[in-house]
Amino acid sequence: MTSTASPLRWYYAPAIVVIAGCLVAMVNFGVRSSFGLFTAPISEAHAWPREIFSFALAMQNLLWGVATPVAGMLADRYGAARVVMVGACFYFLGTVMMAFTDTPLFFTIGGGVLAGIGVAMSSFGIVMAALGRMVPPSRRSWAFGIATASGSMGQFIFAPLGAALISAYGWHNALLILAASTLLIIVFALPLMVQNTSQSARPAGEAEMTMRQAIGIAFGHKSYLLLTAGFFVCGFQLAFITVHLPPYLAEHGISKEFAGIAMGAIGLFNVAGSYISGMIGGRGEKRVPLSVIYILRSIAVAAFILLPITPVTTLIFTATMGFLWLSTVPLTMGIVTVMFGTRYMATLYGFVFLSHQVGSFFGVWLGGRLYDQFGSYDIVWWMSIGLGLFAAAINLPIREQRSPQFAAA
Amino acid sequence: MGWPGHRLALGFFAIVLVVWIGVMAYVMRHAALPPEATGAMLAVFEPGTPEDQIFASLTRAEARIVRPSALGFIWIVTSEEPGLAGRLVSEGAAGAYRDLPISPAIAGCFALADAKVANFLE
Repeated sequence: MTSTASPLRWYYAPAIVVIAGCLVAMVNFGVRSSFGLFTAPISEAHAWPREIFSFALAMQNLLWGVATPVAGMLADRYGAARVVMVGACFYFLGTVMMAFTDTPLFFTIGGGVLAGIGVAMSSFGIVMAALGRMVPPSRRSWAFGIATASGSMGQFIFAPLGAALISAYGWHNALLILAASTLLIIVFALPLMVQNTSQSARPAGEAEMTMRQAIGIAFGHKSYLLLTAGFFVCGFQLAFITVHLPPYLAEHGISKEFAGIAMGAIGLFNVAGSYISGMIGGRGEKRVPLSVIYILRSIAVAAFILLPITPVTTLIFTATMGFLWLSTVPLTMGIVTVMFGTRYMATLYGFVFLSHQVGSFFGVWLGGRLYDQFGSYDIVWWMSIGLGLFAAAINLPIREQRSPQFAAA
Repeated sequence: MGWPGHRLALGFFAIVLVVWIGVMAYVMRHAALPPEATGAMLAVFEPGTPEDQIFASLTRAEARIVRPSALGFIWIVTSEEPGLAGRLVSEGAAGAYRDLPISPAIAGCFALADAKVANFLE
């Protein structure tokens, strides 16, 4: 451990710290995943077109991507716990604003800008960076896996909970309850104070350098660029499926309700996939399983669109994709850590994640754009298959070793 | 101090699921409709109830079917006449719940669990 904090306090015990990080990831990912449920009730309550709510959530996703590298820089400078706590305040304020405002501008500022910054600052990327510094290298990939799995679990449990809250208490109170739950992140982040970057020494075996130097070296590192390009594909595929699979299923006669269950399967299998990916990443090279994940995604998509679309094939597809969903995250974070160490891992992972979010934007946008043009999703499915194979190919040449400039002399 | 492993992960996720089920059950209790309620709602029957028996119950309760769910014992029904929720229960439904903005099948499963607990406590 690199911290100067007392190791004697019970809440700094390894198990507590890991669980705390997982709870942060769970609430962070969970609350935002339930926002979509509020589209109809909020739009109807304010007599808004759906576009206003959609724009705010689009802005949130954009801010999440753009703010993540900045949040990473702050976490690497001032400590992950502090950044997560401040992020929770942004998240809370943004969600409360969504509940109280009745003007599109303030709704976008609250639900889009503030919540987006809050999500970025308290995201599992920041949590993983904190855990990565605390756990020994042999357990690091496992820690990334359980943190990612917790985020997935949050998505799985908060969506039905958000729906039940709306049903029981109305959308306004439901949103306030969810806002209050984001404040739990502050409590859950307390044990992460054990890892306090601003007071910590340079990790053993890592070279002394400024953040600016670290970023410059990373962007001149071929393997880092390949990894970043591969993660773009991950974002493209996931966002396209999240947004466009339900209407695609409807076109093929799958009921809306069954589509909901199939999408739920993604969340459930995602938990197992993320965790197992973390375990696999701890056993050897990460680039190979990462490539295999992208290949399997391409095979799954090809099989899905080539076979007749039935409830059975839909469920098999969503379960398979769920298993492969965020399983790229522990491996990607692991490779960043292997190449550049732990000192600036939040920052450097942040830029990789930004690429993921840009991919998400194109996945959603091109899905709609090309559907409008061709009247079919087929071209985007094939694009997704091709990009998956491309990502598999570019991940294989990654040199999974410490960058010479980052290794201590 | 040793670093935790799979047992911690398993225990953690198990506890989270138990807490989640508890919270969902609590919230679903509040989503249960009072007897005088009417409008669109989930009519939840005992699993395994024959379809003709469900139709007969819905007809007697003067409920209009909006749509079925993926599970045969959960139906989305409506009525303009007051007291639909009470009539559904008196005609054999396990409970009547506000429709949820998620899959009625998922909502109905929690609703059924809630109705069972409510009946047991009574």
